[in-house]
Amino acid sequence: MQTLLKSIGQFSVSISGVVLVWWLFANSGVVSQDLFPTPLQVYQAAIELHADGVLLKDLRVSLGRAATGFCIGASLGVFVGLLTARVRIVAVALEPFLNLLRPIPAIALVPIAIVWFGIGEGSKYFVISYTVFLAVWLNTHAGASEVAGTYLRAARSLGASRLREFFEVIIPASAPHIVVGLRLGAALAFLSLIAAELSGASSGIGFRLQDARQFIRTDRMFVGLIELGILGATLDYIFVFISRRLVHWESA
Amino acid sequence: MRSIRYSNNGKGHIELKDASVTFSGPGGQKIEALSATNLNIEPASFVSLIGPSGCGKSTILNSIGGFVELSSGQILLDDVRVTGINPEIGVVFQQYALFPWLTALGNVMFALKRFRMSKDERKQRAYAVLKDVGLQGREKSYPGQLSGGMRQRVALARTFVSSPKVLLMDEPFGALDAQTRVVMHDILLRIWEAQKSTVIFVTHDVDEALVLSDLVYVMSTSPGRIIDCIKIHTERPRKVGTVDEEFLKNRNRITNLLRGSHAAERQI
Repeated sequence: MQTLLKSIGQFSVSISGVVLVWWLFANSGVVSQDLFPTPLQVYQAAIELHADGVLLKDLRVSLGRAATGFCIGASLGVFVGLLTARVRIVAVALEPFLNLLRPIPAIALVPIAIVWFGIGEGSKYFVISYTVFLAVWLNTHAGASEVAGTYLRAARSLGASRLREFFEVIIPASAPHIVVGLRLGAALAFLSLIAAELSGASSGIGFRLQDARQFIRTDRMFVGLIELGILGATLDYIFVFISRRLVHWESA
Repeated sequence: MRSIRYSNNGKGHIELKDASVTFSGPGGQKIEALSATNLNIEPASFVSLIGPSGCGKSTILNSIGGFVELSSGQILLDDVRVTGINPEIGVVFQQYALFPWLTALGNVMFALKRFRMSKDERKQRAYAVLKDVGLQGREKSYPGQLSGGMRQRVALARTFVSSPKVLLMDEPFGALDAQTRVVMHDILLRIWEAQKSTVIFVTHDVDEALVLSDLVYVMSTSPGRIIDCIKIHTERPRKVGTVDEEFLKNRNRITNLLRGSHAAERQI
């Protein structure tokens, strides 16, 4: 309880400080307020967007895309990661190919995704799940290939079959790594979400940013950026909260 | 809670016939970890292997356990060749090999999953054996919440619960302090006397070997081999901590052998 109060306190101090400096800077006249809006103007822009009914809709649409892409990418990533780490033939077949994919950023896939899947939801899911997949695969692979030999020996000498060894030892033993990959994947889902929404979307936070640019509405852009920040940070916090319980033995 | 009945069909005869293990060293040269060794370990006996590091004592254990392949010769369990990891041969590892994601109870129940029995029965047996090693009330604790001694008790319980014919122990108490070690010896001897598995115990602690064993094999290095075998006549059930004349005589003999093997090593 005390630590919670303490972190809420620190959070408030940090945020008020930043808003204060922002306010001072925006009002100092160094730059035009059309380019760098004040906190109040941004707040008013948010109210305006809310009145238009798009603020929450954008949030919902973007969150939905990120979540769908994350689920597809994460489940594939865990599945393939376990296979490349523990099944020799899959490793030989897939690892070089996957290592070639790694340096390709999500944004580079947007044009091809649009050609393949159109400007509908399909291309967004593709780009997001691709990014999430790579992060989750890499971490799952690392975790599952490093399972301590003593665990495997212990499991086998206690009479566990290969199947039991896989489900009851390899998966829980690599869970801490998998969870790290999922957390990273969740953060990357947002990065690639914006990349996907910047071209060919009619709603979502990324679209709203692009839309605001056409009218040079920096106040609305700030709303979008703040939304992204809050959303990402909240999700990460929830993720840490859940994963501490999921892999409780790691911190012990 | 009823007390656990350990069922052992009385067998657990281990034979090593010209068993040798050779590794390739870093430079490609051959390292003889275990030179052709013959051993005949009687069912239900408690045997210790003692010697300096590199004498092959862990290699013997690992090859009986099926973790290391023999370069030549063979190992027989009740006249059947040992070809790999075998659940009839239980192992208590040097490092804590408990699964940290399972509770003490979960770790013990893991060992019972290969038997056809209901989950309730598994649970009941696991509770009973944990009580036997003195962990009543700590069944729901995770290994990370237990002390080193308690973790090794869980490891003992996990191995003993399925009544293996042979029990391999590789310096299981090496990381524990002296007092905890004495407690562990008591627990180990009590359960072993109830179960009568064949125990092969690796240690570098002379007193530990003398307190626990029927037979102590003294080993030496380069190449790893057995240089002496000492029979301990102290009556069972033993009281840990009894030091008699025979104990001192054996201790001197083993200490001198170990010192001699160190001296020989220096000459090379």
